[in-house]
Amino acid sequence: MKRILVGAMALILGAIPASAQSLEDLNIQIHGYATQGFLYTTQNNMLTTSSSNGSPAWTEAVINVGAQPTPKLRVGVQGRYFLLGNYGNAITLDWAAADYKFNEKLGVRFGKVKTPSGLFNETQDIDPSYMWSLLPQGIYPISSRNSTLAHFGGVVYGTLKLGQSFGKLEYRGWGGERVIGTDDGYFVNQKEAGLNLPNGLSGVTLGAALHWRTPLAGLMIGASDGKDEKWSSVLTAGNGTFTGGETINPLNQPNYFVHYEKNKVMLAGEYNRLPVSGVLTLTGLPTTPLHIDQRAWYGMASYKVTEKFTAGVYDSQTVEHHAALGAARHSLDWAISGRYDFNQFLYAKAEQHFIAGTYLSYDTALNPGGLKPTTKLTILKVGVSF
Amino acid sequence: MKHLLYALLLVASVSIFDVQAQAQVIVIANSNVKASAVSKNDLKDVFTGAATALPGGGNVVPILLKAGTTHEEFLQAYIGKNDTAYRAGWRSLVFSGQATMPKSVDADAAVVAFVSNNNGAIGYINKTTPHEGVKVLQIK
Repeated sequence: MKRILVGAMALILGAIPASAQSLEDLNIQIHGYATQGFLYTTQNNMLTTSSSNGSPAWTEAVINVGAQPTPKLRVGVQGRYFLLGNYGNAITLDWAAADYKFNEKLGVRFGKVKTPSGLFNETQDIDPSYMWSLLPQGIYPISSRNSTLAHFGGVVYGTLKLGQSFGKLEYRGWGGERVIGTDDGYFVNQKEAGLNLPNGLSGVTLGAALHWRTPLAGLMIGASDGKDEKWSSVLTAGNGTFTGGETINPLNQPNYFVHYEKNKVMLAGEYNRLPVSGVLTLTGLPTTPLHIDQRAWYGMASYKVTEKFTAGVYDSQTVEHHAALGAARHSLDWAISGRYDFNQFLYAKAEQHFIAGTYLSYDTALNPGGLKPTTKLTILKVGVSF
Repeated sequence: MKHLLYALLLVASVSIFDVQAQAQVIVIANSNVKASAVSKNDLKDVFTGAATALPGGGNVVPILLKAGTTHEEFLQAYIGKNDTAYRAGWRSLVFSGQATMPKSVDADAAVVAFVSNNNGAIGYINKTTPHEGVKVLQIK
């Protein structure tokens, strides 16, 4: 509730200077989009859907309201309905923020704001803006999108011109509180083992990102680092029989990325490391240490074949270095993808994944017979935006 | 040999057409915009939401045409994207809370009216469209 209030306050504060203006002057805009996906897998059930039988359980609808009362001030709010298998089926607040841009070198945004980490974090949920149906899951897991997408706090941003020979440097710095909801994908396996975090997990998060727009037109090289302070939360097990806590030690999550886009070609690559250590304590039971060292990367390319049709391919690999050797230690995903834009409002996507390893995107409840080491995943999606 | 000549002629005629097409589009700005010339990169930044000001020119507000030859020629010459890709870029900014979508209007005359009546406004029109009351920006 307090977070909704924070968002509302951001809107109100932002709107105060504009209260004397007409609605026309406020430049109020309403935008939105909706998508419907269909998943089919040859073997395991994925993303908490019954995908091996074919599943249409992937629906999203977004509404965005924004206003720009002065050239330097913008306010906005965005809500989302999200359903993917057992995830979501709820309306959530994507972001609600006020943004003041002093000049090209300095701007601030506060409220519930998107976290500008990595290459795609800010835009990973905006299906109409890219060609893929599913971004590389090692870095942008859709089952944890609500948690990683935004935080409560602020972002400071700007662009520094480095001269004609050196291009431009875009910087972002962020800080605030991140909340990982109790139904987040990170906790699926814990939940299935009978461990629950009734309040989710939350704590202070800080970070910075640099994007160097090089003198070579279309080439951007960047890095970001997100630092989470020590997080802890209540942990229960055995339907409340045991209580205790889960503590995650401070961690750094670096991303290094490159993006090139010119004319009909887009190339991109990214590396991310997520090292997590902590403990699970339950009264009367031995302490359980938690160690994860996930390293993920991808390389992707797309080509605009015609005005309306774009095709692409990516190779995404994720390895959990603390896991035992075997299929559960990694996820290797080749994807080929196509997108057709019927017009500026309506589009369709088709994507084929060839997945080896079971580290990502699976749960045990929907795969009671165990997981097969390889799976092919087909995704069809249609979307409309305005 | 004859085929090669035909091909060269075709390429040459397409190139000439392309140059003529670019020359048909002019960029106009409200008279209070300080800049009288703008680089292609700075123009692209303003029309893709990467910047909200021109160097030495203060804040600017871009306005778009909804569709049509002038719009397509502008995107081809100065943005390097077609309309679908261009609007997808703006949607990324709007849905991530980083920008407000520029206004789009149906006709060149509406662009001229908006630019002349709004401080900092910048737009593009066919050069044959009457454009009294606005300044034409030279593209460097």
